[in-house]
Amino acid sequence: MKKVRRKIGKYEVGRTIGEGTFAKVKFARNSETGESVAIKVMAKTTILQHRMVEQIKREISIMKIVRHPNIVRLHEVLASQTKIYIILEFVMGGELYDKIVQLGKLSENESRHYFQQLIDAVDHCHRKGVYHRDLKPENLLLDAYGNLKVSDFGLSALTKQGADLLHTTCGTPNYVAPEVLSNRGYDGAAADVWSCGVILYVLMAGYLPFEEADLPTLYRRINAAEFVCPFWFSADTKSFIQKILDPNPKTRVKIEEIRKDPWFKKNYFPVKLGEDEQVNLDDVRAVFDDIEDQYVSERSEITEGGPLIMNAFEMIALSQGLNLSPLFDRHQDYVKRQTRFVSRKPAKVIISSIEAVAESMGLKVHSRNYKVRLEGVSANRVGQFAVVLEVFEVAPSLFMVDVRKATGDTFDYHKFYKNFCGKLGNIIWRPAGTMPNSNLRKQMTL
Amino acid sequence: MGCMNSKSVRKFPAREDSLDLAAETAFTVNEVEALFVLFRSISNSIVNDGLLSKEEFQLAIFKNKKKDNIFANRIFDLFDVKKLGVVDFEDFVRSLNVFHPNASLKDKIAFSFRLYDLHNTGFIERPEVKEMLIALLFESDMKLADDVIETILDKTFVEADLKQDGKIDTEEWETFVKRNPSVLKIMTLPYLRDITISFPSFIFNSTNVERVDETSTRL
Repeated sequence: MKKVRRKIGKYEVGRTIGEGTFAKVKFARNSETGESVAIKVMAKTTILQHRMVEQIKREISIMKIVRHPNIVRLHEVLASQTKIYIILEFVMGGELYDKIVQLGKLSENESRHYFQQLIDAVDHCHRKGVYHRDLKPENLLLDAYGNLKVSDFGLSALTKQGADLLHTTCGTPNYVAPEVLSNRGYDGAAADVWSCGVILYVLMAGYLPFEEADLPTLYRRINAAEFVCPFWFSADTKSFIQKILDPNPKTRVKIEEIRKDPWFKKNYFPVKLGEDEQVNLDDVRAVFDDIEDQYVSERSEITEGGPLIMNAFEMIALSQGLNLSPLFDRHQDYVKRQTRFVSRKPAKVIISSIEAVAESMGLKVHSRNYKVRLEGVSANRVGQFAVVLEVFEVAPSLFMVDVRKATGDTFDYHKFYKNFCGKLGNIIWRPAGTMPNSNLRKQMTL
Repeated sequence: MGCMNSKSVRKFPAREDSLDLAAETAFTVNEVEALFVLFRSISNSIVNDGLLSKEEFQLAIFKNKKKDNIFANRIFDLFDVKKLGVVDFEDFVRSLNVFHPNASLKDKIAFSFRLYDLHNTGFIERPEVKEMLIALLFESDMKLADDVIETILDKTFVEADLKQDGKIDTEEWETFVKRNPSVLKIMTLPYLRDITISFPSFIFNSTNVERVDETSTRL
């Protein structure tokens, strides 16, 4: 499986790390500095079709000027004949969404901490006239140190039309303010505040405040702000969220009022902003004013992105001996919670095999970028369990599949793992001389 | 040892000790005291001496004192600053500090370098990395042919060993880590941001409530 190196200007392009309605996001490396970046690739025709050129140009110009530790930084903009490339800071720690899914819900203090960072970021942009309009946990990234980074600020203008909202929120507008749904003109600041409130609720509850099987009921509940706080929300938290999830944008709490609220101010340390730098906007003007001699060079054909490539140290970091979290988790008995196997099949074959076996076992499957999440009911029917599998390339034509329990009972997980790997036998690679069953049996030894 | 013994019977460390530890780490006084409750429970799990042994450390991580692990051993050795074979509470807190989300990147890079310099040569050398990689594969019940392991090491050293002398020095390590930040994932424990919540058996009493007020005032 030979991969063709692809370059856009000075950026060596790697795998696809995200895919949206209007853009694809690729991992890349600045070949001059070695810095990792994310490149958002958009077709020019898409922008022209939606008559968005001036608005996007304005917002990208502002985003290039914005410097905030909780906002993904926009480095530069490039264009080819047919595409626009937005070069963004690469954020390593994954999505906050994955963390919620993994942990179920966060503590009040932890939720407040992320919320404070979110409000800082949103406020900073609002002061510069940029609104997000598509705030949701999937747009909130965590860096290597657990700090929040808001992604896609100023880049969501493309999803402004009502019809597009359904697509960008996977069919249901769970995070969207009522006035946005009703398709009358709306205040971007107030709408973003509402979305922040929904996010805070999700962080602390582990589920959405508005979630219905049918859209009319969902719309009615959002418009009426008809939601219930779970019993574990403190009275202060409940009161705080109710001020934010006010269906009337005129009376909804504003960011400066949020900042003054005692709930918000607890353990709050304002972020230190650097001086505004002198920023060159020539690249933005060149891209959007369509000066042909400014086109960036594109080299070689696009090839399929592959799984993440692991180096030796990333593999070593998988060891449970390097994970000190059990020190702080005194109530959980140790069981091997991480399991993995090796395969020599092509990565896409591995993924499709996993999906097929999971579906045959009646599990719900979510796949994205060589990562698969499986959900099912536990054997005793009492709770849910979920497993995440991720494919990594460790050597040419050699892949490691990391399998880990995300939620649910550990005993259920191990029964599942044994059963699942038995069915996957044809793609699991074992060196000559190893008995398949003995290998599985050995893995189950505690 | 008399000194140590008298220390171990105390319910909490002396206030001035907590203040000192809080001043030199990212932990608050309250968090230092929460860490003491944690430390006491894990350090007395085998021998009730108020000191953390390697066996007790392994037991706390794996919940199985027979489980031996090259990486947990290595972390313990780095925590064992005085090289006594046991870790006291002060060294535990100072060492754990590097895993706090607010600890500096520089300190995390330095600690991870020493972590992977298995034989304390002052460099991360290829044989050390191979030893660790094989240990990970063994732990995961994965077997790879030796030539595959060499391929993985080749690829990694091409990227990390900029001087191509077969070993990684601190400067090369810093460059490598900044290009591959996921290598430092293990250096941050989100639990430590919220330790008084994450460690539920730590319960506030009236004395501690007063201390919280003092801490708030100080901030």
